Amino acid sequence: MIGKKSAAKAELNEKTDIKTPISEMVRKFKKQKNSVVALFFILFLVFLALFGGALAPFKINEYDYNSILQGPSMAHWFGTDEFGRDLFSRIISGTKISLAVGLSAVSVGAVCGTVLGLLGGYYRGIVDAIIMRICDVLFAFPGIILAIAIVAILGSGIGNVVIAVSVFSTPTFARLVRSRTLALKNSVFVQAARNLGASDARILFRHILPGAVPEIIVQFTMSVGSSILTASSLSFLGMGAQPPTPEWGLLLANGRNYMMTSMHCTVFPGLAIFLTVLSFNILGDGLRDALDPKLTD
Amino acid sequence: MLRYTLKRIVGVLPTLIIVVTFVFFFVRMIPGDPARLVAGEQATLDAVEAVRVQLGLDQPIHIQYLKYVGGLLRGDLGMSLRTKRPVLTEVAARYGNTMALTFASLIWSTIVGVILGVWSGKNRGKWQDFTGMTLAVSGISLPNFWIGFLLIMAFSVKLRWFPTTGVGSWKNLVLPAIALGTSIAAIIARFTRSSIVEVLKEDYIRTARAKGLKEKTVTWGHAFRNSMISVVTVVGLQFGFLLGGSVVTEAVFAYPGLGQLLVESVNYRDYPAIQSLILIFSLQFIIINLIVDILYAILNPEIKLL
Repeated sequence: MIGKKSAAKAELNEKTDIKTPISEMVRKFKKQKNSVVALFFILFLVFLALFGGALAPFKINEYDYNSILQGPSMAHWFGTDEFGRDLFSRIISGTKISLAVGLSAVSVGAVCGTVLGLLGGYYRGIVDAIIMRICDVLFAFPGIILAIAIVAILGSGIGNVVIAVSVFSTPTFARLVRSRTLALKNSVFVQAARNLGASDARILFRHILPGAVPEIIVQFTMSVGSSILTASSLSFLGMGAQPPTPEWGLLLANGRNYMMTSMHCTVFPGLAIFLTVLSFNILGDGLRDALDPKLTD
Repeated sequence: MLRYTLKRIVGVLPTLIIVVTFVFFFVRMIPGDPARLVAGEQATLDAVEAVRVQLGLDQPIHIQYLKYVGGLLRGDLGMSLRTKRPVLTEVAARYGNTMALTFASLIWSTIVGVILGVWSGKNRGKWQDFTGMTLAVSGISLPNFWIGFLLIMAFSVKLRWFPTTGVGSWKNLVLPAIALGTSIAAIIARFTRSSIVEVLKEDYIRTARAKGLKEKTVTWGHAFRNSMISVVTVVGLQFGFLLGGSVVTEAVFAYPGLGQLLVESVNYRDYPAIQSLILIFSLQFIIINLIVDILYAILNPEIKLL
């Protein structure tokens, strides 16, 4: 009886289970326990970013001169800073800044890079040469140096950090999408679409782009982690977020002044950056492995 | 070999020219009047004009460009507005410090990264692999300024083994090098691991084992030697990122190198210095990439050197 049922079920599965690259990726991804945990942690961070302000026990700029630079306690889980502000509340409120900076900067970079990569790979010739030269030049600067250069031109501030990080994440996506475009543009289905009279725009965005999407997702996840790291480094150097913003890099830079007496001021903001970047990197690793056709179960 | 090397060198020339041009326009991209920005808000018109002449901004743009390139070829990087000394002098005074830090970081991170990578790759899927790769993914996620502070708190403040800041003896180099090299060690470990995993599937590994060679000989003499190619590439590429990472690390340890000079220059809006430093960082990056390319060709017998 049971055997019959499971056989019927298997048959049903066989019928309904259409293996698209994406569904295959999801199936393989679910097997990576670490990455699933990382994904849930990121969702938790998103939750904190959206509702953290309301959940935080104290206001981010609530001064309390009676409890300056206190270590962790029941009232102040992560201790207090030099104005008696609750570090736990400030770190929770900082979540939305780091996530917003990382996600928006990489999104802009991914969209620009994808369009440039599609155009370069599809049309080749002079367009491609110009786009690739621009990428070469952007690659000729170590990431953070380019970001510092851009911030030096535009001035300090979190908005300019987003611009700087977008600029240096663009070429990575451009190269990635370009190589996929080159591979896909002579494939049978693209030729078929062309013969049916599809416009270039339709071919690029409906036929070639979907083939590059899995790689773009993996690169996106990896880039968010490193962008959060770069953005917090810039804030740490005084070139990004300005006080009294509870940006993690800035909290850490501020904490260094009290390093000798109040370790918690540097330990907790750094831990927040570390765990956030770590979860994006683990998620990216999991997605990459899920995508790798060589890694069969 | 020579032909390949020359071809590669000629290949980077366009990039070099574009980078120099970009850096030249750098000062001119600042919104508003750069001379006014440099002279300051309260400066008199005369002072602004003086700065304009000093920066050569009063001349036509193509003359400025030719003068700039000519200056670069003679090693003239302009005058620092902050110290009123040639930028080249400032750079020369700190160059050695940054190089010492970069090499110290690169050496330890390569050794640790390779050992961790081989250990993980050889024991693929076992607990050693899991441990190694967990360490590695943590390593690339650690902000190096945070590691720096943790190291200072542990080894300078509590244990008093190493000085907190400064330069002079090897002791000053230990903590910054650990902070700077951690993420690089992690990246090298990841690449070494995947390279070893690939190589271990090869027939010659099975042959070596079948011959009855010791596992150690198989691992280091056969597997590792053949995975060297990709490891060298990664190590070389990290060098450029070390230069970038040194900016943050030097800030943590108040280490007088190029990175700290860059941060000071940005804070002071010392545009000639910023311009030159960005150019120097970029040139080093391009040159390292070139050397890596050539080294890769030498190491990899599959690339035909015509």
